Amino acid sequence: MTRRLLSWVAVATIGVAALLYGAIDEGAPRTDADRAYEMAKTIGCPVCRGQSVAESDATVAKSIRASIAIWIDEGRSDAFIRSALVDRFGEAVDYTPSASGVTALVWILPVVGGAGAIAGLFLVFRRWSDEDDLEASVEDRAAVEAARAAVGRDG
Amino acid sequence: MSNVAMGAIVVALGSAAALTGIGVVALGLAGRRPGWWREARFLVWAMLAASVLAFIIMERALITRDFTVLFVAQNGSTRTSSIFNVATLWSALEGSILLWSVILSGYVAAVLVKFRDRRDDPMLAWAMLTLFVVSAFFFLLMVGPANPFRSFDPPAGFDGPGPNPLLQSHILMAVHPPVLYLGYVGFTVPFAFAMGALATGRVGEGWLLATRRWTVMAWGFLTLGIVLGAWWSYETLGWGGYWAWDPVENASFLPWLTGTAFIHSVMVQERRGMLRVWNLSLVIATFALTILGTFITRSGVLASVHAFSNSPIGPALLGFFGVIVVVSLVLIAWRGEQLRSPGRIDSPISREGAFLANNVLFAAFAFVVLLGTIFPLIVEAIDGRQISVGNPYFERMTMPIGFTLLFLMAVAPVLPWRKASSGVLSDRLIWPAWMGVGAIVFSVIVGARGWAPLLAFGLGGFAGGAAVRQVVLATRRQGVRGFIGRTNGGMIVHLGVVMIAVAFAASSAYVRQEEFLLSPGQTASFAGHELTYVGSDAREFENRSETRASIMINGGQIYEPGIAVYPFAGRNIGIPSVRSTPFEDIALSVQQFPEDTDDVLLRVTIQPLILWLWAGGLIMALGTVLAVVPGARRRPTMPVSAPVPDASLPDAQEEVLT
Repeated sequence: MTRRLLSWVAVATIGVAALLYGAIDEGAPRTDADRAYEMAKTIGCPVCRGQSVAESDATVAKSIRASIAIWIDEGRSDAFIRSALVDRFGEAVDYTPSASGVTALVWILPVVGGAGAIAGLFLVFRRWSDEDDLEASVEDRAAVEAARAAVGRDG
Repeated sequence: MSNVAMGAIVVALGSAAALTGIGVVALGLAGRRPGWWREARFLVWAMLAASVLAFIIMERALITRDFTVLFVAQNGSTRTSSIFNVATLWSALEGSILLWSVILSGYVAAVLVKFRDRRDDPMLAWAMLTLFVVSAFFFLLMVGPANPFRSFDPPAGFDGPGPNPLLQSHILMAVHPPVLYLGYVGFTVPFAFAMGALATGRVGEGWLLATRRWTVMAWGFLTLGIVLGAWWSYETLGWGGYWAWDPVENASFLPWLTGTAFIHSVMVQERRGMLRVWNLSLVIATFALTILGTFITRSGVLASVHAFSNSPIGPALLGFFGVIVVVSLVLIAWRGEQLRSPGRIDSPISREGAFLANNVLFAAFAFVVLLGTIFPLIVEAIDGRQISVGNPYFERMTMPIGFTLLFLMAVAPVLPWRKASSGVLSDRLIWPAWMGVGAIVFSVIVGARGWAPLLAFGLGGFAGGAAVRQVVLATRRQGVRGFIGRTNGGMIVHLGVVMIAVAFAASSAYVRQEEFLLSPGQTASFAGHELTYVGSDAREFENRSETRASIMINGGQIYEPGIAVYPFAGRNIGIPSVRSTPFEDIALSVQQFPEDTDDVLLRVTIQPLILWLWAGGLIMALGTVLAVVPGARRRPTMPVSAPVPDASLPDAQEEVLT
């Protein structure tokens, strides 16, 4: 068991070390073109809903891509570019729903739902581990009978 | 007789057969007369014959370019090549409903044949009733809002525009929709049996076992259909991506998520008799989501590249979706008492605990995708604002779920049922863990950076190691049979999932894209590659004219991306060209040939491991086939609460061996 424990310590150490090294060392720097492409994927094409400007071949999508490239070249921030495009084409081109107002719900609901599910699971397991009556209740017996009857018929 | 008249007649006959089927089975059930529903089998054959004939008539109309059929006039053309001419049937709404109906009738007939020994069983009768109702719905769509056989009076010399050029530029378009539909429609069968179980009150494991393979096959087709769709999008749309969280992609992904949850949680019910309501809900949700997905796709409610219609079919589909949900909820509430689970889960660190966690995660995944897809509609309905929910939302919200699922995929297959001791886990997981760490170290050495992709590779290695471990153990004791059966086939599917997860993480983290304006003879250097623009040439085809650029990659092979102009459809589409290797893809697409010059504006996308996405999809399909081959498995008649594991059974051998 100690040898096994040592293996696990080794696994954890090497894994965390490699992960940290890979996370801290940035590798090749991101170019402006990379940034423009990342940005274009988060901006919707105004005339072809359902496609981002990175995907779309529409003329307006091409010109938005060109504008993004120019803005990045001028040293503008992502936030500036985003709000400029929203001012020009409307809120629908921003693929990141705003975290304020009614649209914040799209971010909050899954988190609340997820927390609720985890809490629910926790409670269920607590209840199950508290229940130590090994005696079958009347309903349990009835359920077993019903299941037996069902298996009999299905089989 | 004209195609329009023949088509209208067979569709009417099919509808009549389905409606009569509903009546006969319902009356038989009400009067407890098995003879009545036994005889309904003739109506199934009538339905199948009608839908197959309708399909043949439509294909005939398309192949002979019979423009008196409105569908052909709108979607066909004399210039469409023969393979895409056949595929034109599913390139528009009415034809896709026809395809749906043919596949559904095929499934209903297959159910009839497969369960021929159980024709007197009321549960089967209820299932048949459900199948008749669903079939009638689709036949009636063809009578009313999605009538494929409307007539048209073509002027002399009329020719149609042909299908959307995007849908006739790649062979995958001929394959992806039918495969996807085989998956979508296949979930009707487990749904019908779930209804049968609820109606008869036999809510035990019988219906699950009866439809186990049907569910797995439908799931396999859906998986393959989705992967083929992604592949098609990558090969034809030319933006270097394959998955955009487009509403239509999400519509196919939603039933896949709930279906995946279902094929895992059924094992808990088979083994422990638990999660009955949950399993019923999942199978109902999966079926309902296929209808909701069709609504999203076909009603034009969310505009997207796939939503090519704005027809009255929307309300019909939404209404049907509502009926399914309401009827199912009422039935579950009615049977509530009998659905009470007879058992409990002893420990969260057990196989059933892991399946439960898996289900919570898949349900959360489905919730996020559904919410993101319909949220713009909700906001628009509330305060009239037009908003979008796209890539950044889905990526941010689903990434933690994806990581947790990968982790579970590593741990769950080695967990024993009921309870696991830390010693057992430590023994079984150590070498998968080394695989995971090895994957991270290897990735860092070859230059991969960033915590998210590295974590994905590590968890991928971990999960892959666990799957390989299971397959190795199984083949060591069973030989070739160690590849077949649900457990072993399932592990092959897991390997496919790992490939896709790793390829997805790598390609989205390390994608590079740039546009270059090149004159003939000029070379661009990008991400370690030299791209030389040799020149361009124009080609004429019957239905389009193409201009292709010749691009030499690294002084070697020439690739020819271009632009095709379809004058009759009034559209220009790109023709991307991709150099694929197992390590990376170079995708080239022409943005523009600027006027009055010989230049080309070329978009170059370089991303690693793309090929492994498609390979992973094929492996998942292969694993699915292996999983439905009968392996050494539990006999279906064996009670689920069998107390002592038999050492000859695959699940028990694990404990014996280790």
